[in-house]
Amino acid sequence: MKNYYSILLLLLFVACRKQYDVALPDQRWDLFESANAVALKDTVRNKLQGVFAIGAGATDFGSLAALKWSYNVNGTDTTYYLSVFCETDVSYFIMQGKRLDSSILLNGYWRKMTGTSTGKARLTISAANGGRKLLTGAVFNSGDIVIDGVYGNGDEVPTAPIRFQYARPLYNARPLEIVVHRGGGQTADLLPASENSAQIIQWASRFGATGVEIDVRLTRDGVPILYHDDNLSERLIVKNGLIGPVEDYTYDQLNTMVRLIRNNERIPTLREALQTVVYSTPLKYVWLDTKFHGNMQLMRDIQQEYMQRAAALGKPLEITIGIPDETVFNNLTALPNYQNIPSVCELDVDFTQRANSGIWGPRWTLGIQTDKINLMHSQGRRAFVWTLDVPENIKQYMYTNLYDGILTDYPSIVAFYHYVRP
Amino acid sequence: MSDRKFLIAILLMLMVFSVQAQGEFTSQPRHGQYSLVAYVSGGLGYFSSDKGVPAYLQTSVTKLSPVTSVRIMWFPDHLLKMGLETGYVTFYSYNITDSAGGKGKVSLNAVPILLVWSMSITKNFNIFAGSGAYILNTQLDYKEKVISKKFSVGWVAAASYIYPLGKNTGLGLEGKWLYAAETSNGSLCTQLQFVWKFLKW
Repeated sequence: MKNYYSILLLLLFVACRKQYDVALPDQRWDLFESANAVALKDTVRNKLQGVFAIGAGATDFGSLAALKWSYNVNGTDTTYYLSVFCETDVSYFIMQGKRLDSSILLNGYWRKMTGTSTGKARLTISAANGGRKLLTGAVFNSGDIVIDGVYGNGDEVPTAPIRFQYARPLYNARPLEIVVHRGGGQTADLLPASENSAQIIQWASRFGATGVEIDVRLTRDGVPILYHDDNLSERLIVKNGLIGPVEDYTYDQLNTMVRLIRNNERIPTLREALQTVVYSTPLKYVWLDTKFHGNMQLMRDIQQEYMQRAAALGKPLEITIGIPDETVFNNLTALPNYQNIPSVCELDVDFTQRANSGIWGPRWTLGIQTDKINLMHSQGRRAFVWTLDVPENIKQYMYTNLYDGILTDYPSIVAFYHYVRP
Repeated sequence: MSDRKFLIAILLMLMVFSVQAQGEFTSQPRHGQYSLVAYVSGGLGYFSSDKGVPAYLQTSVTKLSPVTSVRIMWFPDHLLKMGLETGYVTFYSYNITDSAGGKGKVSLNAVPILLVWSMSITKNFNIFAGSGAYILNTQLDYKEKVISKKFSVGWVAAASYIYPLGKNTGLGLEGKWLYAAETSNGSLCTQLQFVWKFLKW
């Protein structure tokens, strides 16, 4: 009988599954919040970008880092973020900057995407270490700007030293569209917001993306919304008793009853998502992954409307409708003037030509298709490969110099490999 | 007259005893005897999880819900029996009132289709365990009526005590745990059970 109890206890122990989560560290830093610390000017931010060598801290983050600014607009407020893209464990920092006298303070957090590690980071560029040069607009060279600071684990007071030293400007010889999957990354990666939410789209450029891929479905009453899976499930939404395809429910029902799992966000409409892209982010590209089979006129109208809105702001923005299968191809080519509709075709080059898609989007598992890409380029089209997540594969595909864009769940590592190119 | 009543009573008792002497319902195996036994049950299920109704809906969940099940078991002449079980379970339901005062109701239900194994522990006490499919369905009545379905794997574990009513029938009480993995919904059920050995060979 004792044996049975032992087996039962063992089963109970094995059945206890650890719940993983990643919470943003508390980023309050009294010095950074002090009255004397003021916002950085545009000119300073523009200079404080580039490839930096990592001294202390290289064991955790690698020997190089790419520093790049992004922003989010919220009403009349604009918040600027300095992202630090590193190689080791697909790590990054997201910081905000302020000037304090002749120094620059950078405050934020770091995260490793290969696990759940995260923590605070507090950095300083002293006046003598380049702060004065940056603030006065003086010319500086490699080694002139040194960022010193500390980082720590979780919410503990950071004590581990880290140093970044300016090496060279960011690579920009060949443009690359860094397109992040599901609006900014997968819910499974425990990001600060749920996948395919309006909130995660605001994070996308901080993660290194220049564009987003979002999944479009239609509700029962025909409203285009963002949702990836075929069914409502606890992977993506807070448990509420609703199951089955999102297409079974009206928009009102989903809007009232369904919340996404990371932060109780609402499922956004396509309009809300594009509104965020146009008015709140520096994103330049949107891939609308068509997850429904039906009339595409409304999706086309919304695409056109938001490209016009961006153009009215003088903002470069390309929104393409995805063609993932032949049914969607037939639905899209049934629209009037379909050859003028910006689209990205995942089918073969023949379909890409027939739809006059500006972008051909082959999956990476088909290999590097040099001849077909050259054919696309010769016709003025571009090639975006999807979905590349493994660093070695990202490097391999990027360094062919063939692809014009990479779709990924981990834009920070794509950004790192791209911007540190010599 | 009273003597006749007494005699009739005695005869009835003898008949009952003779029936019992021939054998009352039991789940225990008899050498060379095979049978099919139907279990028809009804009762209440208790949804034991706190999850299910998100806080933002500001409502309370109805955790006690009706459960019915039908089970057909093959009784061979050895200890382990097998069969199929189906039925209908409501895991939980709740009412909502939206910010505009609109009312709605949600219930999450399932039709289990399970392969069940059973064993007699004593003459009248049996344990059951099985796994299979749950055809889950959400019934939503808010602004419009929606019934949405999804398939899930799941399992059942149960124990029942059968009080014999006759050679081929019995009345039982069953405790049961029904679990659908897809939505992590479990229901702890108590059911009254009618058992009928309807075919023997």
